[in-house]
Amino acid sequence: MNKVYAVGQINQYIKNLLAQETILHSVSVKGEVSNVKYHSSGHIYFTMKDNTGTLSCVMFASARSGLKFTMREGMGIIATGRIEVYMRDGKYQLYAEKIVQDGAGDLYARYLELKDKLEEMGMFDQSYKKDIPYYSRTIGIVTAATGAAVQDIIQIAHRRNPYVQLILCPAQVQGDGAAQSIVDGIEALDRYGVDVIIVGRGGGSIEDLWAFNEEIVARAIFACNTPIVSAVGHETDFTIADFVADKRASTPSAAAELTVVPYADLEKRMQDLAVSLFDRVDHNIRMEKNRLHQTVTRLQALSPGARIREKKMHYVNLLDQLQQVMQGNLMQNKHRLQMRITELEALSPLTRLQGGYVHATAKGKPLTKVSQVSAGDEIRLRLADGTVQTRVENTEKEKIAKIR
Amino acid sequence: MAKKELTLNEAFTSVEEIMEKLRDDEISLEDSFKLYKEGMDMLKVCSEKIDKVEKQVKMLDEDGEVSDFQTGTGE
Repeated sequence: MNKVYAVGQINQYIKNLLAQETILHSVSVKGEVSNVKYHSSGHIYFTMKDNTGTLSCVMFASARSGLKFTMREGMGIIATGRIEVYMRDGKYQLYAEKIVQDGAGDLYARYLELKDKLEEMGMFDQSYKKDIPYYSRTIGIVTAATGAAVQDIIQIAHRRNPYVQLILCPAQVQGDGAAQSIVDGIEALDRYGVDVIIVGRGGGSIEDLWAFNEEIVARAIFACNTPIVSAVGHETDFTIADFVADKRASTPSAAAELTVVPYADLEKRMQDLAVSLFDRVDHNIRMEKNRLHQTVTRLQALSPGARIREKKMHYVNLLDQLQQVMQGNLMQNKHRLQMRITELEALSPLTRLQGGYVHATAKGKPLTKVSQVSAGDEIRLRLADGTVQTRVENTEKEKIAKIR
Repeated sequence: MAKKELTLNEAFTSVEEIMEKLRDDEISLEDSFKLYKEGMDMLKVCSEKIDKVEKQVKMLDEDGEVSDFQTGTGE
């Protein structure tokens, strides 16, 4: 029996064997890119192939400066690096340090050639693009009847608005005759009359999507009278159909979102419009009412009643003022009177009685004439410090009355 | 699509235009009512545009015949 080795031992043995081949330390390999995956770590995993076979390749993030373009399916490249055994998977692979484009891979070259040609003819021109209707009642779909794409579209369309009519025109989307089948589908739906057409399929390799890069498909899309939304593969896949279509959706699901307005949105928009219409009219009515009110107020201000009231107010005001002025005058005069009294008192005759003069009164009158009294009459004599009551003895004209 | 009939979006736009006219404070109350009625009628048209009947997915064959499409056929 032969010697028995562990897997690790035999892999290590083969690894060493290859490592001795100096030619494999730096080798350039030519082929078409397939299954390229840009990993989030920065590493790129891909396969190179030609019609005889495939070669696993990896380009580490650390070597990324050796790649100046984005690798796509079907591109022809020349990758330079070392070939080593990857022991975990028991396979050898190319650790690429530098990748350059080899002219262009076969399919990719055809793609670019057709793209340039159609672009030159103006088929991608923005001016030919039809608007996708805001609201489509009937939506045509050209895709495989059994694919995931149609299910995605139906599901999303139905969820957004179940009242939209979907019409599927089943088409073969890959393999021989696919392009013609897609063209027939587009033409059939255009004849039938729908508001918008979705043309597409789910993701796949460049070969799988190839029908959407065929010139007859591009021409059918361009000639179609109905707006067309293309929905081929994934976000990163760009086909000729995408460039010609009136609108490109990144995926079939996105196409459904682009073409079907959610019913709730429509309903809300209608309600909002109805509410603002009402608000607006309500506002106008209130404005007119306000205007009416203002006019009434202005008119009332001009009525005779108001004028009379105004005059009355004026009258009352004047009266008030007059009374105030009168009151002021009165006070002032009273004050003046008081002052006069004081002055007058200072000049009172009593002050003169100091020097022996008296003021005589008889029967309440000043005694100025002899004839005013006769014997026995009472006479009052006012002196400076009091009064003397006396009686007339006799009277004698031109003689001073004798006082007893 | 070349028909003269208004699309839903055109109908919506037309209601918005009516609203714009209503926003003019100089508008008479009579016109205001007239526009309001026009707007509400237009909204009714909008509502009718959305033919509120749940629809089955249809299938169009090569002869231009339409039949019900059985959904859920899977891969």
